[in-house]
Amino acid sequence: MGFFSKLFKGPEIDMEKSNANAKKMRALFNQVVEDGDEYRLIFGYTEDVSRFNYGFVHGSKTKIGNLIVGWNEAGQTIVVVPTVPDLSGCGDPAYYRRSEILKACRNKYPTDAFLIYPDKKGYIGINAYDWLEDEKLYVYVSQDDELAAFTDFFMNHFATK
Amino acid sequence: MPVGEMGAFLLFLMIVFLFGNLWFHFIETILRQIKKLFTRHKNSSWHPLPPDKED
Repeated sequence: MGFFSKLFKGPEIDMEKSNANAKKMRALFNQVVEDGDEYRLIFGYTEDVSRFNYGFVHGSKTKIGNLIVGWNEAGQTIVVVPTVPDLSGCGDPAYYRRSEILKACRNKYPTDAFLIYPDKKGYIGINAYDWLEDEKLYVYVSQDDELAAFTDFFMNHFATK
Repeated sequence: MPVGEMGAFLLFLMIVFLFGNLWFHFIETILRQIKKLFTRHKNSSWHPLPPDKED
């Protein structure tokens, strides 16, 4: 019984690892964003799918970009910081203030993503889940509450009509 | 189909697979080198995780 109940329960989240990564995310975010503590954080990622045709070899490639996404409800601002799955470092932050962006909406197809269009030239699609098991591709962090809070903020305070 | 023929067919498929992989990486390397030539180095900085916060 014990074996089968364990087998059907599915993968279990290592909360110690998850909490350690949440701390690293906070440290990285606060390092590059002024008043970082005023933002709540969530892990997200971008997907860049491109098709290739090299003669008789053709297919598609997917590039995953890991992101630390911070949001400030009072300031109606989302800050996106690029990072890597092991959280060894991060890049420069990009600020998306609701008053300055062109459009923001949630996309359901082909993937469930939060889309932000800063201008007519481009957009960023943020994918977020409560937990992703693959540590080689994604940051290992459990974030049920943060995801619910971010979804609520995005849909009710950030998305444009 | 005799076992020998099946084996030869599987070997053929494996060779096609390996050659396809080699071809893919060969073209990818060439394209990367060409991109490097034409892409200017952007001034984006990388911030490592502060060592005292790692534990």
